[in-house]
Amino acid sequence: MADAQNSSTAVSNPGATSRTFDRLIHEFMQIWQVVAALALIYLVFFVLSPPFRSFDTLLSIFGQASILAVLACGTTVVLISGGLDLSVGSIFAVVGVSVGILLAEVNLPVWLAVLGGLGIGAGLGALNGIVQVATGVPAFIVTLGGLTAYKGLAEILASGRDLSRFPDGFQSLGAGYLVPMAIMFAAAILTGLFLTRTRLGSRAFAIGGNEEVARLAGVPVKRSRIYYYMLGGTLAALAAIMEVAKLNFAMPARGQSYELFAIAAVVIGGTSLFGGRGGVGKTLIGMLIMQTITVGLSYMGVGTSYQRIAIGIIIIAAVYWDVWRRSAR
Amino acid sequence: MALDAVDLTLEEGEVLAVVGDNGAGKSTLIKALTGAIPRTSGTIQFDGKDAQIDSPTDAKAAGIETVYQDLALVNEISITQNVFLGREILRDDWLGRIFGVLDFKKMDREIRDLFTKLDIRITDIYRDAQAFSGGQRQAVALSKTVMFGKRIAILDEPTAALGVRESQMAMDLVRSLKDHGLSVIMITHNMQHVLNYCDRVMVLRLGKLTAVRKVSEVDGDTLVGLITGTLEGDAKDG
Repeated sequence: MADAQNSSTAVSNPGATSRTFDRLIHEFMQIWQVVAALALIYLVFFVLSPPFRSFDTLLSIFGQASILAVLACGTTVVLISGGLDLSVGSIFAVVGVSVGILLAEVNLPVWLAVLGGLGIGAGLGALNGIVQVATGVPAFIVTLGGLTAYKGLAEILASGRDLSRFPDGFQSLGAGYLVPMAIMFAAAILTGLFLTRTRLGSRAFAIGGNEEVARLAGVPVKRSRIYYYMLGGTLAALAAIMEVAKLNFAMPARGQSYELFAIAAVVIGGTSLFGGRGGVGKTLIGMLIMQTITVGLSYMGVGTSYQRIAIGIIIIAAVYWDVWRRSAR
Repeated sequence: MALDAVDLTLEEGEVLAVVGDNGAGKSTLIKALTGAIPRTSGTIQFDGKDAQIDSPTDAKAAGIETVYQDLALVNEISITQNVFLGREILRDDWLGRIFGVLDFKKMDREIRDLFTKLDIRITDIYRDAQAFSGGQRQAVALSKTVMFGKRIAILDEPTAALGVRESQMAMDLVRSLKDHGLSVIMITHNMQHVLNYCDRVMVLRLGKLTAVRKVSEVDGDTLVGLITGTLEGDAKDG
């Protein structure tokens, strides 16, 4: 190992500053391409469409991204750990309806209803994880089951109920752009810190990268997985609370396909679908890319159906880019 | 692959080679010893006392550190994270205790000390393991045994995927494990490594113990004969 390439690095000073700097460089190198893509897409619409240029447009992009972005933070963690949760859209529906009931019928104080909603989300997420590690049935199947079962639960809970007109204090959680944006950034920062700075979070990368190596290294793989699904469920619940507050009504049809939008944002951001790599910052940017395209296209008069086609192409292109970059190494 | 009545004794501070043809049960033996797969019968004794080793975690707690073939490092995570995987150091404050926040500064320091001690020249410890050569990766995997293995290092073909020069480096590292107070059990296919680096050798054949010899008392031809079965073993502990 004492060749020219390494002897030069041996003299570098391993101080705390260089460590932080190394990490920053490392993190930037991972994310600059998606940032550049987002800037480019924004620039294209900026040039093509005059009404797109306003600050309000920028705000509305963030505002519209916020609810899905919160949900997608959880999806990011689950995907990094090599898992998959297709049921978060339905967890979203159950929590939305439940919080509606807690507020409109049980008349709980707002904070308690919110806490209850988060708890239900955590519980349903954990259930996904527990069923998987207990039965060995693959994540895809278990959470596909969860997708329909939780949806059914939401419908049962909501049937015959009018869940609307919530207290003002609750509505402020989803009102305007600023509060949802603040919640989005808070959720993203906390999830990011969880993944990069904590033992449980950092192990998600190891488990997603190579579960067997992690197990042999003494990582409690099964228990950790349950926690990741639990976190995913909790963040889906937070997103649901934001949306119910914003709309001022709850119904079981909400949240439909949200899991797919979340996965799309995660993938566009550059988190691997196969586990072991990724990050919340990437997901946020992926979500902003999707929202920018949606908003930009509608400003240019392109209909929703065409927007969907565009997003579909972007998803495939993003993964192709990832595959191509890997094979080029 | 099943094992039948295989006895293994490891002396303090020795390097014991485990050899045998493919399918002889070498890896199974290692995994049974470290609790990675369940044993149906048999006991493990440590310093003459029974030891309860039913999982990789038990083995680690007993001071046994294992480097599995192909299962040593996770490609997607950094060298630091790989070395400390499963034994991360937490901050010694409320953040560490409540949220399990990692103490990067301390892990950083310990890893650099370790690499200096073992003459492993990797400074880029935050890069993904994937970015390093086979020899460097194996050096990192072996360094874990010095960092955490208090008593025994078990190595499953430490040079399997390495070139000649890298193998040499890895084996020098294996030899230095002894100086760090470890006894070593090493699976290998390389007779030269057995003869040059090991103190004793045990031969497995079809899941059974064929022979145990002092390395100073065998030559390559005898070993090959014992492995292939053209020479009768005696299966008595040497």
